[in-house]
Amino acid sequence: MNWTELDTWIVITGVLVCLACALPGAFLMLNRQSMLGDGISHAVLPGLAIAFLLTHSRDILPMVVGAVVAGVLTAVLTQAVQRFGQVESGAALGVVFCGLFATGLILIRVASDRVDLDADCVLYGSIETAVVDVARVPRVALISGGLFLVNALLTVLFYKELRLAAFDPALATTLGFNADAIRLGLTLVASVTTVLAFESVGSILVIAMLVVPAATASLLTSNLSRLLVTAMLFAAASAVLGHIGAITLPGFAGRLLGHPGLGATSSAAMMAVTAGILFLLVWVFSMWRDSHGRPQRSTPT
Amino acid sequence: MKSVMEYLVGRRFAWPHGLTVGTLTLLSVFLASAASAASKTLPANYGIVTTCGMVTDIVREVAGDKARVSGLLGEGVDPHLYKPTRDDVAKLLKADVVFYSGLMLEGRMSDTFLKIARRGASVFAVTELLDEKFLLEPEEFHGHTDPHVWMDVSGWMEAVKVVARSLSEVDPEHAAFYERNAKRYNTQLARLDDYAKKALSSIPKERRVLITAHDAFHYFGRAYGIEVRGIQGISTESEAGVADINKLVDYLVDRKIPAIFVESSVSDKNIKALVEGCKSRGHQVRIGGELFSDAMGKPGSYEGTYLGMIDHNVTLIARALGGEAPERGLNGKLAEKH
Repeated sequence: MNWTELDTWIVITGVLVCLACALPGAFLMLNRQSMLGDGISHAVLPGLAIAFLLTHSRDILPMVVGAVVAGVLTAVLTQAVQRFGQVESGAALGVVFCGLFATGLILIRVASDRVDLDADCVLYGSIETAVVDVARVPRVALISGGLFLVNALLTVLFYKELRLAAFDPALATTLGFNADAIRLGLTLVASVTTVLAFESVGSILVIAMLVVPAATASLLTSNLSRLLVTAMLFAAASAVLGHIGAITLPGFAGRLLGHPGLGATSSAAMMAVTAGILFLLVWVFSMWRDSHGRPQRSTPT
Repeated sequence: MKSVMEYLVGRRFAWPHGLTVGTLTLLSVFLASAASAASKTLPANYGIVTTCGMVTDIVREVAGDKARVSGLLGEGVDPHLYKPTRDDVAKLLKADVVFYSGLMLEGRMSDTFLKIARRGASVFAVTELLDEKFLLEPEEFHGHTDPHVWMDVSGWMEAVKVVARSLSEVDPEHAAFYERNAKRYNTQLARLDDYAKKALSSIPKERRVLITAHDAFHYFGRAYGIEVRGIQGISTESEAGVADINKLVDYLVDRKIPAIFVESSVSDKNIKALVEGCKSRGHQVRIGGELFSDAMGKPGSYEGTYLGMIDHNVTLIARALGGEAPERGLNGKLAEKH
């Protein structure tokens, strides 16, 4: 393995992005809204199209602004559909993101079919190229570090509120918190995090980190603070192991299968795969543990 | 940590549009302080990294044996969707010279090329000197140019000149060599251009219509007098509506167009829908074959070169629509009879 400064920055950025996503991801899971990130990856399309039609530019700034607006709109509309339409949260998100995505397709077809305007082309970054920068510290590392700090700070500040809103909305309301407002705040923060992380490292890593580390941690603990810490540990581990896997495994597998000289594969995708593998291992471990007489997990408290 | 040093200093500090000597010195002094031995001379057999196959091929033709040319995108890879890996980025950072296509063909990777240039590598877009009048752009969106310029051979001949000029700039010692290679290669391309004009104008006039999966053939159509109709838009996210398909079916039936085409890097489901649509109206349309649009054929084959790719497209289209062209193309080298 030939470790370079490039690898160091990919891992640092990967860890920061994964941490930044794992925190809101844990609360989204508790609120049964884990797929928000996936929904937003589709829902940004009309935001991109409208930003382009207004500014006639495919520069990154208008594209990100359009995408953030679309992401926030997804969060708000999902909450509204869920509350006023009396539907389950997953269905509400489905209704909203499909609607927005389809609107985006129509806008592109009608207004700008001769301009390449998909999220892959104009919005999604990739962690491998994003770390190439003029400055000593790549901009993308600063952005993901900032996202992580803000999310950590918000989690600490609103810990009690978030916990109550997730586990006992009725009690939260009796105690004078507006559980709906807290959940809306959570989804708004998660949407902005998601879009900014998309811009830095692409979609798949972000979607995976919103869901998988929290799910893995929930197999091991039912205590909220431990859940958060464990989720962050798994997120960081996925980033580190994922990148190492991306640069070593193809060559290794290639030698086994008689295709020497295979290069690295996508680091972001490998980080997501690693998160999945860690989940699988922990799941097997927790089944083994449960069958050996430890008391069953209760619901998180 | 050799590789870190390498990527900090192991390349030439040239700027594509000419940095002043003062900044250049400052830059090298700064970098020399970061790492001791800053070398500014181009090593013999220097490394060039390119993006898509069409760029790789013309750079190889011009650079000859003076440089190692390595392309990032393999056969059949859609440059619109290409995602670089860490090895690709490491290659880019180590390269002495980088060539890419430009005009947003590489999407957000263009940002990376800009940054690599700013860090001191010589980075060139082969389309950078094309005349604005040559470029096609949608009427309503100024500046968002159609990137598929290689479909018009005369456009890619300009790109060859850009390659020669750029290489002469970074390696002035061999300037004459590059110019000679470019001239020789452009003579071949000029022959190809003539062949395309002749073969395609032999198609009966009312049948000079090219229907393909996506909008990559507008330059081709303009250069060779063929009406081009894509089923879906330029963006890979774009979808064809039922109305679009029906309109095209009407058109095919009215004009009795005998063949439509699929592309090597785009899904062919819409094309199949068209064939079915025409069949239900009693008009037999056949799939004329697979055109190369954003990617070339197998490396090492004739179709895996820019010349072969265009020859393949031209010969296939001309023969399928009822024109005259030799069944093995301009140079008699096409792998299959068309």
